[in-house]
Amino acid sequence: MKYFFQKSNISGQLLWPSFIFLLFAFFITACGNLEKEINLDLPAYQPQYVVECYLEPGQPFTLLLTRSSAYFDPFPTDPLAYVENILVDSAEVVITHNGVDYNLANTPFLNPSTLKVANYYSSQLVPEDFDNDFALKITLSNGQTITSTTRILPVVPIDSVVVEFDDVKDTLARCLTYLTDDPSTVDYYRRMIHQNSLVDSIPDQDFTTNDDYVDDKVIVFGTGYDYKEGDTIYNTMFHIERAYFDFWNSTFNAINSNGNPFGQPSSIVSNVESSDGRAVGIFTGLSYDRIMTVVTK
Amino acid sequence: MLLFGAASQIFAQQTGKITLSGVVKDDDNGETLIGATVFEAASGNGTTTNEYGFYSLTIPQGNDSVSIEFSYVGFQTTMFRILPKADQTINIRLSTGIQLQEVVVKANSFEESIRSTEMSVEEISTKEVKLIPTLLGESDILKVIQLKPGMPSGSEGSTGLYVRGGAGDQNLIVLDEALVYNANHLFGFFSTFNTDAVKDLKLYKGGFPAQYGGRLSSVIDVRMKEGNNQHFAGTGGIGLISSRLTLEGPIQKDKSSFIVSGRRTYADIFTRMINKSNEGDPEYNPIPDYYFYDLNTKVNFDLGEKDHLYLSGYFGRDVFGFNGDFFDFSFSWGNRTGTARWNHVFSPKLFHNLTFTYSDYDYNIETKVTGFSFKVGSDVQDANLKSDFYYGLNDNHTLRFGGNITHHSFGVGRLKAGTDDGEINFSGGNDFDAWSMATYFGDEMSFGERWKLNAGVRLSGFYNEKFYAGVEPRAAAVYSVNKGMSLKGSYARMYQYQHLVSTSGISLPTDIWYPTTKLIKPQHSDQVAVGWEKLLGGNKYLITNEYYVKWLRNQVDFVDGAQLFANDRLEQEFAIGKGYGYGMELSIEKQEGVVRGWIGYTLALVRRGQFNTIDDSKVFAGGDRYFYPRYDRRHNVSVVVMYDFGETRDRKGLATNRWTISGTMIYGSGDRTWLPVGRFAFQDVYGADFQPITPVYGQRNAFRLPYFFRSDLGITYHMFPKWGESDLNLSFFNVTNRRNAFFLYIEPQYADDVKPEETPLAIPTGLKAKQVSLFPIIGSLTWNFKF
Repeated sequence: MKYFFQKSNISGQLLWPSFIFLLFAFFITACGNLEKEINLDLPAYQPQYVVECYLEPGQPFTLLLTRSSAYFDPFPTDPLAYVENILVDSAEVVITHNGVDYNLANTPFLNPSTLKVANYYSSQLVPEDFDNDFALKITLSNGQTITSTTRILPVVPIDSVVVEFDDVKDTLARCLTYLTDDPSTVDYYRRMIHQNSLVDSIPDQDFTTNDDYVDDKVIVFGTGYDYKEGDTIYNTMFHIERAYFDFWNSTFNAINSNGNPFGQPSSIVSNVESSDGRAVGIFTGLSYDRIMTVVTK
Repeated sequence: MLLFGAASQIFAQQTGKITLSGVVKDDDNGETLIGATVFEAASGNGTTTNEYGFYSLTIPQGNDSVSIEFSYVGFQTTMFRILPKADQTINIRLSTGIQLQEVVVKANSFEESIRSTEMSVEEISTKEVKLIPTLLGESDILKVIQLKPGMPSGSEGSTGLYVRGGAGDQNLIVLDEALVYNANHLFGFFSTFNTDAVKDLKLYKGGFPAQYGGRLSSVIDVRMKEGNNQHFAGTGGIGLISSRLTLEGPIQKDKSSFIVSGRRTYADIFTRMINKSNEGDPEYNPIPDYYFYDLNTKVNFDLGEKDHLYLSGYFGRDVFGFNGDFFDFSFSWGNRTGTARWNHVFSPKLFHNLTFTYSDYDYNIETKVTGFSFKVGSDVQDANLKSDFYYGLNDNHTLRFGGNITHHSFGVGRLKAGTDDGEINFSGGNDFDAWSMATYFGDEMSFGERWKLNAGVRLSGFYNEKFYAGVEPRAAAVYSVNKGMSLKGSYARMYQYQHLVSTSGISLPTDIWYPTTKLIKPQHSDQVAVGWEKLLGGNKYLITNEYYVKWLRNQVDFVDGAQLFANDRLEQEFAIGKGYGYGMELSIEKQEGVVRGWIGYTLALVRRGQFNTIDDSKVFAGGDRYFYPRYDRRHNVSVVVMYDFGETRDRKGLATNRWTISGTMIYGSGDRTWLPVGRFAFQDVYGADFQPITPVYGQRNAFRLPYFFRSDLGITYHMFPKWGESDLNLSFFNVTNRRNAFFLYIEPQYADDVKPEETPLAIPTGLKAKQVSLFPIIGSLTWNFKF
């Protein structure tokens, strides 16, 4: 049995509620102006700490520590002020692996190739070790601690990427991505596909899945006939742990619930713990295979 | 009054007592009358006809003639004199003439209500349903029942019911005894019940008799018309979005009849024309096709004095389709039910009904995109055999007992997808075969003139992977303070073995019915209700006041971020918890006269909590504490008024009125909703979008939407042409044009030069909360006819 997904920016499971919402949106539009602005008086909110730390073997240790804000707090108009406003500094960040402590200094870091930022950084490289845990401990300036543990998963390589032109409209092509899954384990994946650029283009597909429906080894991911000759397609397949799967899905479920009467809001399922219960985030390994393909006939 | 079966002395009498039995029918069309009163004044003994119009009344034997009074609301009361020497069969036909001034028509149902052990019951006449203004002029019996106390809907315009704090899946809806799994069309805006085909609807909110089971919070027992066995007749209507036609008539006069009733929407005919006229316009987005239809059919046969056979069926479906250049989409869902019933009168005391029902509900979604197809669907089928006995033991005891066995077949989340060339394909889904069974016994007892008790027990069981059993005691009592006032109390335990997989407050056709399994235990509830009823104003007004407390166990909810669509491990998305609700309902009702209607007020509270997930790794945030579900409405007021005026005569020369004005008003506390209280920025990994607003949701459903208010107005002009009757109904839905909140959303604001959909690192300048409503003022015109 094999697996296939159409082009979508959201996970396959969310397609149906979104579709119904579109029907309603159509109906609402047809009925005229049925929207109005209202004032919401939300209860007081105590900010949380937000951790994002992805361990990529062979790359420096980086961690982004920010704080959340009340929902309707104003946004600083200056992007720099916006970033400074949410960054949490003066914490001690230590990642321990095989008895070795990696101290991440509180220093701004911008990865020039990915344009991703961090405020804790160590030039030491993340070791490639799929058998032992990495432990995170953050000690905040107020003495509170945030902890988490993870393990890096081995890369599941993409077997092949096939570009096929439509028989009828031979100017448009689809992309099929083949992957061999280990049927003896429950695996979780995050699939991304980009057109022409990884940095400044919004992904054509970005979703997570597991191998529930797979009862033989090969999984196939697909797209619609969306690509033309000369396009560059980036296929990325992340092999992710369950904690990251839950975090990512819950995060995007929370985002997508806004404005969808059929959506069910949810809390963020986090894998970091804090001594005062006020932290959320993800500490996980990042293992992926990425293949760049130029569409040719 | 007409006597259509000669009174006959057919059974040996019991010492000192005789039993009268028979069937009460409508003289005009031969339809049996459910709940008609049969009363013998000298002894004070009385009873009501059952769901098949049958009654059994035991009175003292004697040598002096006595009068038996037959009455039914809207019909002329009929007195029939007999000599009570031996058991007798008396079949009676009652005639209308409601507006005929020289005939006294007794509004007996209030008096019967005062005497009855039944409480927490609502009954709706389909005649009045047609007069009450509704959305787009579609008369809808479920929408009208929502106007009764304790019956808030799921959301604006929806036919979903949340009875006394119960969830939307806790309503047992049966049509001619066949279970209807999804009783609505178009996402709940219309019900599946075509009022032209419906004879009677009875709703129990509590005090459930032992013959009902399977759902926790309500029983909605809908009976289809049987068909006119006197003459050929038709009913129909042409409305804004649909048309209806019902044909009925005798197969053999007085012995057998048929009815066929259909309804179909026709918006798709116009949208297809619009699409066709815009063919070739590259800027034009075609409008999808949508329609729904209902078809009700029924035949019935008198097989002699003691036997009657009924065969009925319902077929309804919603069909949604879109065909584009690259993309075809079809989505359809619907119910099918079938019922075969055989009534047999064993003796004047013992009546038996043997029923076989079949129910089927399914939905199917099919998508085709160049070279790829995707199909998903779910279905459930029930085949049910049921035997019910009604035994008038003596003047103090009426027994009901019986049992049923049902085979359930569930297809959950069937999925099939792949390319046309077969290169890629995958499938999934779960099938379950389950059995349920129940047996029950109930005794309606009289203790003197003031006390009545209806006590019983239902034993239910369900097998799917594991066997579960439930003992469901039921009791309801009435104490008549005097002829115009009674005190009532009831207790009922209910078990429910099927659960609806839905996170939405809106009924969706893709909601999946899921059986009890090894891990998912049956839901059960206990409800205690007390109240009083009082007649006022010469028995024209009935005041009802009830108080209830309900405890719910093994309640089903879903983990945060539950993936309910196309999930082979659906059970892992379940969370199981508890709930409770309590409240007060107060109503005053007037059924007869030129001004009719009711005012209802409900004060209610419902909470759920102590939820545990089936899968330990899943989260149900805040579920360990008690929280308010979305449908927790603290206050609800409804007013329904109908006023007839403009005296005239109908084609039979009877006095009637030319005009009816009807109005409704509903005020309710807003639904609860779950809103974010905080936000954070989520950078994500290389290649992913930056998310500047990731909501942090606060306490579950802690926020209440603005209050709900809507008033509808309708005016009906009655006409009496030579060929029959017709009326023209003009109605306005939401006449004050109030924008009731359907849902809220938060819209990020961006600087003028920022297009967030094209800018990966777009940061908003602010957030605005917006409220979305569904319906402005909507006018509609409907023409109804009858011949």
